[in-house]
Amino acid sequence: MDVKPVGRWRSGLLVLILLTCAPGAADAQSPASRLEGMWSDPPATSEGLFCFFACTDTGMARLNGLLDNPVNDARPFQELQAEAKQYEREYIRSRLTPAALKRYPFDPADDPGFLRCEPWGVARQIFAPHQLEIRQRGADRIELRYGEWDGRRTIYLDGRRRPANQGLTPMGHSVGHWDGETLVVETSAVAANIIMLPDLSAMGEHSDQLRVVERYSRSKDGDTLLLTATLEDSPSLRDPLVLKKIWRWAPKQQITPYENCERPTEFKKGVKP
Amino acid sequence: MLPVLALTAADAHPHHAFSPVYDEKRLITVAGVVTEFRFVNPHAMLLMDVADDAGKVAPWVVEFAGRLNLSEFGWTADSIKAGERITVTGNPTHTGSQRMFFRKLVRADGTELLPGNAQRLDAVEEERRRRARERNQPK
Repeated sequence: MDVKPVGRWRSGLLVLILLTCAPGAADAQSPASRLEGMWSDPPATSEGLFCFFACTDTGMARLNGLLDNPVNDARPFQELQAEAKQYEREYIRSRLTPAALKRYPFDPADDPGFLRCEPWGVARQIFAPHQLEIRQRGADRIELRYGEWDGRRTIYLDGRRRPANQGLTPMGHSVGHWDGETLVVETSAVAANIIMLPDLSAMGEHSDQLRVVERYSRSKDGDTLLLTATLEDSPSLRDPLVLKKIWRWAPKQQITPYENCERPTEFKKGVKP
Repeated sequence: MLPVLALTAADAHPHHAFSPVYDEKRLITVAGVVTEFRFVNPHAMLLMDVADDAGKVAPWVVEFAGRLNLSEFGWTADSIKAGERITVTGNPTHTGSQRMFFRKLVRADGTELLPGNAQRLDAVEEERRRRARERNQPK
């Protein structure tokens, strides 16, 4: 029996499957191909370290002012960063409602992620450090996978509404579209949870009315990914708050299992970070 | 001696704040023998036996950032081996238990391991020196 034609057919099918399933399967000309792949911690620059979790333009301007002042040349970066972060926290404080101010900054000893190993909600996950993998899956969705907590999100590109039987969830319901080469993601239906304001040492709480608009774009040189996230939550924020974050292109990075979270056996409440 | 500076976000625990468990204002140093290095997420852990002046051995735990973070700087499961004699400096717990958060490790041959963020800070200080040179250049 001549099996060669079958073998060729199988080879062709294998090639087709590989092409369809391979990372980066999105059309090379599509905007998704600009963002697809593995990103990780920001470049080792002053901006990268300052925005390791998230940052504001106000905070960055303060940091740059300190860095550009010759009086500060002998001071270590960590000191200037701490001063600018303090300034940034005061700015964020001014954006909070009276109700939110009562619990800001949130005592990290009360963090359910710390106490009970509960994975983060979207208002922390999008600012998580380390890996972020972006993959287009078919024509109608993009998947975001984070190293931290091995968190996963699906961004629907067909504008679908949240299923009627789906309640509020930690990650909410996300729909996306392209604005040129920028991926715009709108998220709602998020259960009340904790929010980075702007990092683990200054967290707040958001309500179930939170809406987040994320804009992801790649730098012209291709080396960095920038997130501009606008958060709206009238019970906790007086006005929309804009936080930013940076990742560095890191194709060799891998997401490794997140399987050894242990509940703390000793801790102290009320310690100021 | 390590300066005691405020931890940056990049130093802190990846999945929760540092402050409830460790005292960032203090450093302690212990010497002993590694019994196990767990290269895992969210925190890598080192177990070691530490002998006091009377020779009584007590188990200590050294907590690190997680594998997700350490792998950024080339760390592997073999970066620290069982049986190695080491001296470790870190932040103690608030309760004074036999546990610390890693800041510096010195092996018997004098080689050192530092948190990945130390490398980042070196790069940033170089960026600052370059920035200062450009600022001070005559226009």
